[in-house]
Amino acid sequence: MQYVIVGIGGQGILFASKVLGAIALKNGLSVMGSEVHGMAQRGGSVISHFKTGEYASPLVRAGEADLLLAFDQNEGVRNLHFLRQGGAFVVNVHDRASFENPKLTAFLNERRISAFSLEGYRLLKEHMGGNFLFLNVLLMGAMCCAGVGAPSFDETASAVKTLSPAKFEDANMKVLALGYEAIADR
Amino acid sequence: MMEVSRRVSTRAILLGNEAIARGIVEAGCLVASAYPGTPSSEILPAVAKFADEMGSPMSAEWSVNEKVAFEVAAAASFTGARACAVMKQVGLNVAADPFMSVAHFDLKGGFLLVVADDPGPHSSQTEQDSRYFAMFAKIPCFDPATAAEAKEMVFDAFDLSERFGIIAMLRPGVRVDHCRQDIELGEIRPTSGAVKFEKEPSRWVCLPASVKINHPKLNRKVEDIRTVFETEFSKYNYEIPAKRKPVLGIVASGVPFSVATDLLKEAGRDDVSVLKIGTPHPLPVNMVNDFIARHDRVLFLEETYPVMEMQLPDRTRILGRWNGTVPGAGELLPEVIAGILGRLLQDDSLAGKEHPLLKEALEELRIVPRKPMLCPGCPHRASFFSIRQALPNAVNPSDIGCYTLGVNQKAVDAVVDMGASVTMGSGFFLAHKAAGIDRPVVTTIGDSTFFHMGLPGLASAVYNRHAFVLAILDNSITAMTGGQANPAVGTKLRKGDEGRKVDIEGACRGCGVEYVKTIEAYDVALGKTAIKEAWEHAKSRGEPAVVIFRHPCMLLRPEQSSIPVKVDPEKCIGCKFCINFFNCPGLVFSAETGKAFIDERFCVSCGVCLSVCPHGAIVASSEEAE
Repeated sequence: MQYVIVGIGGQGILFASKVLGAIALKNGLSVMGSEVHGMAQRGGSVISHFKTGEYASPLVRAGEADLLLAFDQNEGVRNLHFLRQGGAFVVNVHDRASFENPKLTAFLNERRISAFSLEGYRLLKEHMGGNFLFLNVLLMGAMCCAGVGAPSFDETASAVKTLSPAKFEDANMKVLALGYEAIADR
Repeated sequence: MMEVSRRVSTRAILLGNEAIARGIVEAGCLVASAYPGTPSSEILPAVAKFADEMGSPMSAEWSVNEKVAFEVAAAASFTGARACAVMKQVGLNVAADPFMSVAHFDLKGGFLLVVADDPGPHSSQTEQDSRYFAMFAKIPCFDPATAAEAKEMVFDAFDLSERFGIIAMLRPGVRVDHCRQDIELGEIRPTSGAVKFEKEPSRWVCLPASVKINHPKLNRKVEDIRTVFETEFSKYNYEIPAKRKPVLGIVASGVPFSVATDLLKEAGRDDVSVLKIGTPHPLPVNMVNDFIARHDRVLFLEETYPVMEMQLPDRTRILGRWNGTVPGAGELLPEVIAGILGRLLQDDSLAGKEHPLLKEALEELRIVPRKPMLCPGCPHRASFFSIRQALPNAVNPSDIGCYTLGVNQKAVDAVVDMGASVTMGSGFFLAHKAAGIDRPVVTTIGDSTFFHMGLPGLASAVYNRHAFVLAILDNSITAMTGGQANPAVGTKLRKGDEGRKVDIEGACRGCGVEYVKTIEAYDVALGKTAIKEAWEHAKSRGEPAVVIFRHPCMLLRPEQSSIPVKVDPEKCIGCKFCINFFNCPGLVFSAETGKAFIDERFCVSCGVCLSVCPHGAIVASSEEAE
């Protein structure tokens, strides 16, 4: 499996590759990934690559990713070239009208990409008092519905529990389910 | 050894930098020092963490700069202790003086120098290749292709350093530093070296007379190490032969090796052989020449300079940077290497695909990459706004750190390297003075950078009576690199290790600065007054004046009052003043309405922007304030 995770510095995207790593290790898979730290992290575009299986390089080549997980709609669209034909696109949408751009829809259809979109900010406002720090866990929940070999909800829940402080466990589990249901309910 | 190892193999997913750190602790290093800098910053904190967990007696400390870090580790090696210094590529520029000197020494304890390179660059002012520096100093260099290999190389670097009494460099690239991989964890290995410094001036004093002996000796060491690399290091230097008659040979080191082998596998090319080199200096030339002789065409892939290429006596039959086959700058991303291989092998499956529909969608939606910006609520934003508004005509040199991003607020005019904000203040003052031009100079530097290299420039400016304002943006953390402590903070990395806070005001006064004023960075009105007053003092007295803008970094998640704001669309005239001079991710301009608005996805309600709009359009949002 090859994943590309994109967003804006400060959104907590590094957490996603930590979760994927913990799941892969539990399943006995070899892991390779690449992250962004430093200046590039300060509010700018950030990208993480993550691969399970027998690879030598940590980078995903354009056109090869099975799954693109986008914390930000624009960053997601900007990095769609990473997805392979038939890949899955999990995206946090904040501007639904732009997301329904006809050319974008035509591109997704042409490449047979399954798009799973959720309005993360709205959901967190409605259910979590507007605490946007939960965006990463919300998207991990959504990812569990994406198919193409993405980890299951239970695997993800157990990895999130292990990797985050105990005091956030209840809230994290609530948010994870929220993300999952936002996609599964369609 | 009769005892059978009973170690239970445990694996963990580590960042490349954590894998290197684990190697440093397992190798029995006793003194580790570093200055943070992307992509090296995570190494030392991980050293401290593993040392705590494994009960190592070692020290793991942040030095105030890389020169200090290098010298601390070097002296420890003189005693026989295993020591290491860790820095980023431009950090070695700062440490170049002791580095070149110590390279000539006959060291005692193993001395590992970890220098993290940043091809791209992602977070640096250059993409220089530290392997060149290894060549310049005539020391051996290991170039890992993966995190696991980087960890293994730590042990060999220490051993080689002790065997030849020479500095050994480990040069991970950013993709190794920030790669995540499953890594095998071991225990602390026994080392032979006892700590015992023996007085031996001919060995430890760098007199010119010693160089006459040590330089030829160094040359012999390099040749001996080259032989060792030819014969004993097949785990890092090996050939992956083609399954058929090869149409191309590739000599590769570091991450480009990993990328190239993945690409060849994906494309099913079994007619290309690869020679992997993990020890690019001194290059195992015989091994490489033998490989070249067996191939009609040989491509060289390495980052970022042609270091292996340069060491070949005859380059006429190779494809690389010297003849333009490989680009002369930038990171060798999978797409770049795929393009090179696609052309050389005339293989369309390696060529990148164009997506015209996606391109058109991106144009229609006006989606472009986001530039780095200061975080919402960052105190630097407020400081830069105050500085720029107080003296709009001033020249504003700045420094390396988050505050380089003050360029987005038109409050940063020149940045060179760590500490140059202070010294450029002197240069701008002197040039204007000589030309009879009266123009204020207000420079900005951070707390960690001030201790790194700001102090010498400040002492020099006081001595020479240079009139400028030095604004120290003290957020009590080394922020850009992820939040390390520094002398202004006073905490240390290892458990139970207590540091002592060094007072910035006291340091400035100690250098002879008479005007030192500390203010709350969020208070824009106060900031403007302080800068004007400091400049009047500097100009009238002919000396530097210091204003310290203090407020904790947002990464520390400080407790502070929440002041929700909104933009009053009736008052906003769409002049973009707030975008151009305040530049906050939470305050954006809508092309649709022609007005600014608060983007609640990013706003942290710091309330600073209430002082920004000249038309009073940014107001406290009353409904939430109720």
